[in-house]
Amino acid sequence: MAEDLVLDTAIRDWVLIPLSVVMVLIGILRYFVSKLMRSYQLPDAKVVKEGQVVIRARNLRAAANFIPLKSFRARRTYFSNEENGLLHVPKGQAQNAQAQMFSDPNMAMDMMKKNLSMIIPQTLTFAWVNFFFSGFVAAKIPFPLTQRFRSMLQNGIDLSTVDVSYVSSRSWYFLNLFGLRGLFSLILGEENATDDTQRMMQMSGFGFDPTRSLSAEKDSLDIVQHEWALPKFEQRAEAVLRRLVR
Amino acid sequence: MVGHEDSGASKKKSTDSSNDLPTFNAENLQNNTKIIYYSRTFLSIIGGVIAGILGYTGLTGFVFYFLIMAITSLGLAAKAKFSIHSYFDCWNRLLLDGFLGGLLSYVLFWTFAYDIVHIF
Repeated sequence: MAEDLVLDTAIRDWVLIPLSVVMVLIGILRYFVSKLMRSYQLPDAKVVKEGQVVIRARNLRAAANFIPLKSFRARRTYFSNEENGLLHVPKGQAQNAQAQMFSDPNMAMDMMKKNLSMIIPQTLTFAWVNFFFSGFVAAKIPFPLTQRFRSMLQNGIDLSTVDVSYVSSRSWYFLNLFGLRGLFSLILGEENATDDTQRMMQMSGFGFDPTRSLSAEKDSLDIVQHEWALPKFEQRAEAVLRRLVR
Repeated sequence: MVGHEDSGASKKKSTDSSNDLPTFNAENLQNNTKIIYYSRTFLSIIGGVIAGILGYTGLTGFVFYFLIMAITSLGLAAKAKFSIHSYFDCWNRLLLDGFLGGLLSYVLFWTFAYDIVHIF
């Protein structure tokens, strides 16, 4: 059952290599287009202020062990005090921010633009692949798969006795789609817009709500146990200085 | 090491060893993690091409992938002069982070090289 089919060299020249090259070029194009189309919107003052408060609280939590207990407590009360603490938000205002965010036209436009720039090239390329490159065996994947994958990988090929390792060009397209992410992260620098599966995961966890992050920070600040990390600091400083003098 | 490109950036010390309590410089830690990621991605691509040219099929190919990842871990540990705690916060980050992330790129380039060399 492991006879090797001999495939035409023309398939390699005109299907595999062009498809990969086109996908790489489209990825690069998409990266530059998204860079050019990035519109700078003026950040809202209130949102920035809340963001900075959260950052301060987080720094306090991270470095809590380096300040004495009393000063840590004083800072913590400043943040989470019931009446006028910075992180405490009355319950009534908690729901507004989310509704406001979704009706904010700028942000909705931004999200739509990002989504479109992701979906359109994929759809177009997929349609192009289906139209031109269907109905023949394109490649052989080097590892064996079970029969259940046959319908997924071989949808242009109507022979049922061909080994499942011989796949159509649609599956070559999907293989490229996932495998070129690593290549893009190497040649395009930092995490970029072509990492669409990561973007999809982010989209499902959307629901950014500033008041919710404030109360989350308040809770985590309340949990922190203070442990004074520099107890014998004078002795240690003395030891270091002695070593230097010697 | 052949083909091992360290992205030109040097690893920087993330911890200050004079304190008893380990403190981390977050920016350096992030830089080091990025270096690990780039190294693994690059080596999985190169490893895929090598596996395709050598004609590995099936299980041998996957074993070769894990071998490449182990060599990456060893190379990174050697570059950090085996004193992991001054560059990273724990061993797992160096050894296991991104282990399976390069698998898809590896399979793509493995398929590509295998087809070009052996089938066509």
